[in-house]
Amino acid sequence: MNSAPATRSAGFWAEAWGRFRRKKLAMAALAFIGGLVALALFAPAIAGTKPVLCRYKGQLYAPCLGYFDRRLEPAIFAKDRFRGTYPTNLAAKDPESWAIWPLVFQDPYRSVRADEWPGLPANPAKDEGRPSPRNLFGTDQAGVDVFAKMVHGTTIALLVGFVSMGIAGTIGIVVGAVGGYFGGWVDMVTSRITEIVMCIPTLVLILAVIAVIEKPTIWHTMAIIGATGWTGIARLTRGEFLRLKGSEFVMAARASGAGPVRIMLRHILPNALAPVLVPITFGIASAVLLESSLSFLGFGPPPPTASWGSILNDARSNLAMWWLVAFPGIAIFLTVLAYNLIGEALQEATDPRLREARK
Amino acid sequence: MSLDPLLAVSGLETHFPVRAGLMRRQVGSVRAVDGVSFSIGRQRTLGLVGESGCGKTTVGRSILRLVEPTGGRVHFAGTDVRATHGTALAALRRRMQIVFQDPYGSLNPRMTIQAILEEGLVIHRLGTAPERLERVRRALERTGLTAAALERYPHEFSGGQRQRIAIARALVLEPEFLVLDEPVSALDVSIQAQVVNLLVELREQLGLTYLFISHDLSVVEYLSDEVAVMYLGRVVEHATAAALYRAPLHPYTLALFSAVPRIDPAHRRRRLVLTGDVPSPARPPAGCRFHPRCPLAERVCREVDPPATAAGGHLVHCHVAARELERAGGDADSAAAVVADMMASTPTATLAGGGGS
Repeated sequence: MNSAPATRSAGFWAEAWGRFRRKKLAMAALAFIGGLVALALFAPAIAGTKPVLCRYKGQLYAPCLGYFDRRLEPAIFAKDRFRGTYPTNLAAKDPESWAIWPLVFQDPYRSVRADEWPGLPANPAKDEGRPSPRNLFGTDQAGVDVFAKMVHGTTIALLVGFVSMGIAGTIGIVVGAVGGYFGGWVDMVTSRITEIVMCIPTLVLILAVIAVIEKPTIWHTMAIIGATGWTGIARLTRGEFLRLKGSEFVMAARASGAGPVRIMLRHILPNALAPVLVPITFGIASAVLLESSLSFLGFGPPPPTASWGSILNDARSNLAMWWLVAFPGIAIFLTVLAYNLIGEALQEATDPRLREARK
Repeated sequence: MSLDPLLAVSGLETHFPVRAGLMRRQVGSVRAVDGVSFSIGRQRTLGLVGESGCGKTTVGRSILRLVEPTGGRVHFAGTDVRATHGTALAALRRRMQIVFQDPYGSLNPRMTIQAILEEGLVIHRLGTAPERLERVRRALERTGLTAAALERYPHEFSGGQRQRIAIARALVLEPEFLVLDEPVSALDVSIQAQVVNLLVELREQLGLTYLFISHDLSVVEYLSDEVAVMYLGRVVEHATAAALYRAPLHPYTLALFSAVPRIDPAHRRRRLVLTGDVPSPARPPAGCRFHPRCPLAERVCREVDPPATAAGGHLVHCHVAARELERAGGDADSAAAVVADMMASTPTATLAGGGGS
């Protein structure tokens, strides 16, 4: 953006980014989502009971990786019968040892016992666990720290959106592009398929699949949201391809000898992508909401996986525990709002008609 | 019309299906081009004129198979264009290129000028990357732009510059034949002249053959060796430019020419204003297609499609003109004068300049 002599001038996306950057709310929303990504990546270092890094019997370990995948937790701690409680065991079994601990010593999967951390009392259980300096967002019925649960649940909140819309975006763009470009009976078939898929109630399908599958995981849910959520994207892509395939630059490309694949990928798709990104962003927001609703209904990822929606579910049995509603509720609300703000700003930044109107 | 034309089109038909109803059954067709024949000799320019919707753009696109013709024959340098497929068609398209009317719509807004110009070379696997860049530069410089444009995007250029880029794209494959589809209609008058002069220069330097499609009669006169006038999907009159502009024979050509404003107070002419609208090409009238609007229409015009009559470098499809030609013993000039007088004495003629007297 400075006045250096530009050898290569700003392309469409650079200009769109320039316009996007001027929208303060959207930038705040983008920063919020960026913060969530950081939170998800560093969750084990923010809240946990396993050391981020420790030296034990002359070797360096990072047991906190066990939060990402059980198999990443070094086997030596299981062999030495740590049973998940590091502070006392480390000190008792190797006086030479040292460790760097997570910011908050609270576990997302279990209640912290008394004196597990020197001087730290056991987590309160039942409706005693209101927010306190030790448990920032309180504890749930079983005495598990809500803050730790939410930090570790961020991964799911993000994954649900990105994975399901990644699937939906891919299917939608391919189906829409093929139907719109080739037209005729191909378009007839893809449009009818789109309409049929549109009629499938996603929530009911997910519940049915979860009932049938032996060990349902969050990945099944994401796959179903993706496999049913592409219809809007397909319709929009089809429209864009229909509009652009008759444009003169596409005809010029054909006159230069370009084949259908080249025309679709190099000429039409880059021009059709911007309007399609908008419903994808809104789709991420609705996928997050859908996962939360599922978890709230008790069909979310099975425990001990933490998700924001499942914390809400816990609140159903005792509404006096307002902190079980407020914190995850606010988090879901802010996340969905952020995606919607980003989607709206993206639309304004990439839509040439709106752009002209604002000049 | 030389003995060995580069492009020969005969009986070209391009009909678009009209579909309706739930099953999208074909209920009719729009006859955008309905039996057009002409040929263009090497290094000659044929101007194709007519009002909007007469099918002239479709003719240009059908020749390159950008729109699929439904009938007739197109021969380019001895090759049957309609029977060509796959790589042979791609190879043929290297030799025939097109420049579109709208320089804002014909350049992909997401590609740099270099990518746009280079694409044809990449597709046809011509040369190494540095060689391709060299050819792109050469084509760009031929059209009066510099290599500084290469890294920029289309939106950074004016309409005239964009049209030069579009011409450079057509030239980069070193074609023999260019379809120029109203290449200056979207430009300011001052820019039009520059682009027209560029086209003349290129034709001379590179030995190009043009099909110049336009509704601007003065530009066509300046550029063309021959001119074909189209009306409702048909060529109604085809003649050398000199003959056509001196003595138009077809009533439609006359009406078209009388609509051209002339800055010549001494030259006060009667202006011929046609009544009615152009009929829909989905349901063209029987007989002569021009008869519902022709002030000279007779009974035979409503019933019989007029055949081509050749005289004095003209090829005209008109019963009245054919009769007058026969009376004048084949002298196109005197026959044209008679037709012009007949037109001028009909109620459709008004005096040019002001409400008429």
